[in-house]
Amino acid sequence: MAKLDKVDVVIVGAGASGSVYAAVLAKAGKKVVVLDQGPDWKTTDLISSDFWGRRIKTAGAPFVLEGKNPVSYAYQSGWGVGGAALHYFANLPRLLPNDFKIKSEHNRALDWPISYQDVAPYYDKVARDIGVSGDAKAEEIWRQPGLPYPMPPMKTFRHGDVWLKGFEAVGIRMVPAAVGMNSTEYRGRPPCIYDGWCHVGCPTGALSNPLVTYLADARKAGAEVRPWSTVTRVLTNGKGNRVSGVEYYDQRGEKQFQPGAVVVLAAWAAQNPRIMLNSASDKHPKGLANSSGLVGRYMMTHYASGTWAIFDENVANHMGTTGSQYMSYDRYGKTSHKGAFGSTFIVVGSALKTSGLGGFANARLDLFGPDLHAFMKRAARGLSRITAFGEELPHIENRVELASDKDELGMPLAKIIHSYDEDVAAVWNANFEEGLRIAKAAGAQEFWSARGNIPTIHLMGGTIMGTGAGNSVVNSYGQTHEIPNLYVAGPGIFPTGGASNPTNTIFALSLRGAEQLAARWKTIAV
Amino acid sequence: MDHMKRRDFMRGAAVGTFAFTVGGAQSLMTPREARAQGVPFRLLKASEAEALEALGETLVPGARAAGIAHFIDQQVSVAPEEALLEARILNVKPPYVNFYRAAIGAIDKVSQARAGRRFAELTAPQQRELVDLMRQNKLDGWQGPPGPFVYLVTRSDAVDVVYGTMEGYEALGIPYMPHIAPEKRW
Repeated sequence: MAKLDKVDVVIVGAGASGSVYAAVLAKAGKKVVVLDQGPDWKTTDLISSDFWGRRIKTAGAPFVLEGKNPVSYAYQSGWGVGGAALHYFANLPRLLPNDFKIKSEHNRALDWPISYQDVAPYYDKVARDIGVSGDAKAEEIWRQPGLPYPMPPMKTFRHGDVWLKGFEAVGIRMVPAAVGMNSTEYRGRPPCIYDGWCHVGCPTGALSNPLVTYLADARKAGAEVRPWSTVTRVLTNGKGNRVSGVEYYDQRGEKQFQPGAVVVLAAWAAQNPRIMLNSASDKHPKGLANSSGLVGRYMMTHYASGTWAIFDENVANHMGTTGSQYMSYDRYGKTSHKGAFGSTFIVVGSALKTSGLGGFANARLDLFGPDLHAFMKRAARGLSRITAFGEELPHIENRVELASDKDELGMPLAKIIHSYDEDVAAVWNANFEEGLRIAKAAGAQEFWSARGNIPTIHLMGGTIMGTGAGNSVVNSYGQTHEIPNLYVAGPGIFPTGGASNPTNTIFALSLRGAEQLAARWKTIAV
Repeated sequence: MDHMKRRDFMRGAAVGTFAFTVGGAQSLMTPREARAQGVPFRLLKASEAEALEALGETLVPGARAAGIAHFIDQQVSVAPEEALLEARILNVKPPYVNFYRAAIGAIDKVSQARAGRRFAELTAPQQRELVDLMRQNKLDGWQGPPGPFVYLVTRSDAVDVVYGTMEGYEALGIPYMPHIAPEKRW
């Protein structure tokens, strides 16, 4: 195994969280290497096509999917530099204060070791770093005041506006969606041209993917991004009390050792536990930072109740962004739906394309042949959708663990074992019922629920934060309780997941963790 | 993946075409062009390609001429990490050709049991009836990947080649509006 020169920070994964750590630490003068298992994508690779857009989704070793509700992770996964944030929809809502203290307030789930007030300044910083469009003042009906967003809300289109009277009729207030897209030119990046191809990667720079935000900053500050580098283990010193670097395989399949004073695992909610469990040694027989046995535990997802409708007008559904036009937290209280527990976050106004999992050919999966073609023609003119995301509470049985089969590098595959509870089914059903009421009140010509298996969206947990090694893997900064120079970043550190899209919180927590690491460098990287 | 193959893949991706083998040499073309030119299949047997064309045409009119069999054949013959089938997003375990062969085998077996003929040899109404039952997991004696999942994956392939192309958008009257357009109207 070749040994490379020691660096200050080795970051595993060049996605949303890894890019934030890379930017902050490189700008702080640290020598940073970012290892990513996939290609080094450029914005010019981001072809406007659902088919070609699959290039930037998972292609690594597969996860073995088990449980009553297997996690269908691939659609939202990343492959290569930029990670999943290369094709994210850039919906950037926040968690709300009630997400941080569910145990205290309801004796359910877990509390975070921090409050909304600890994270809020970082949400504001993120908005300025990457550029967020929206109306922060309008959001104050649900949260404490913060800084205004740096850009006004995005343009709206008829396929979003057409729902508003329906929402009003059922008492749901909609406000402009907070999105990481440019409604105006921002920091040299152009405004959005509303072509609706965000979900396969935005090549113009109008959408805040890592290539044009934090990763660009990191590279400018001297960080090295090393693609085609698959990390299999984190190694420790002889005492086992500090990590010494990572073992990885390069593009030629040769094993390398990259020493580093600090290691940040930012590989993805399921891949981080896989690496930590595979790093077991005589000093850490259950895997790194895992004396509690909690590495890989408390995996969570979101689920969506989609309501489709066809309106008797041309709603221009091909226009806009894959993100949302409007959002609402009016069903975000944990007990908003009678007989069900968990928050709901509602969005409307996503641009539609024909193919792919989110394409409108799948709006009526029961149709095929001439019936499908007739539907496609009607849908092209009048189809639109609202989506209500629901919260799943953390359960220790939902987990990542190593499997007996191995990948081509000899690394054990990992299982994701996941089952929903009764609350999920109750919230999911309640949101479908409300969606139909909204569609009817909006005057839709025809409308229906997008039922099927309960979907699994936005994988979170597995390396949760808490107050100590007895109840969690990391502290609120992402620093593992047991090994001070090993950090974990990304949605894996969420102890609960709320119902809103997670990436804003991923950015904010990563910024908070990276700034703490930079500020306390001398005590952490000794 | 060796370096030469990767370069070919990336080049094909950049122009929105696929690498098909014609007369021993690689040529970049769309699946529709490959079918029209009678490009030999790489992995699929003639009977398998015939079944996929019949299934595709049943699912989405126009899929046969759009080259669904050539599309799937080309995609299952490249390394799994290069394949861009919806199967990849739906967590089908590579190699993907195994899934398609199992699906075709299951369809032909129930077709034989029901009508004494392979699926491709059924009348169009018979094909529609069988697909509708497969979709609902109501086919007795089905042996293979779950019928509704076969329906979802192959329907997605047919949608890809018919509605997912620039031509498909045009036929539906939808402006394609690409940032970076796939060439050759794919």
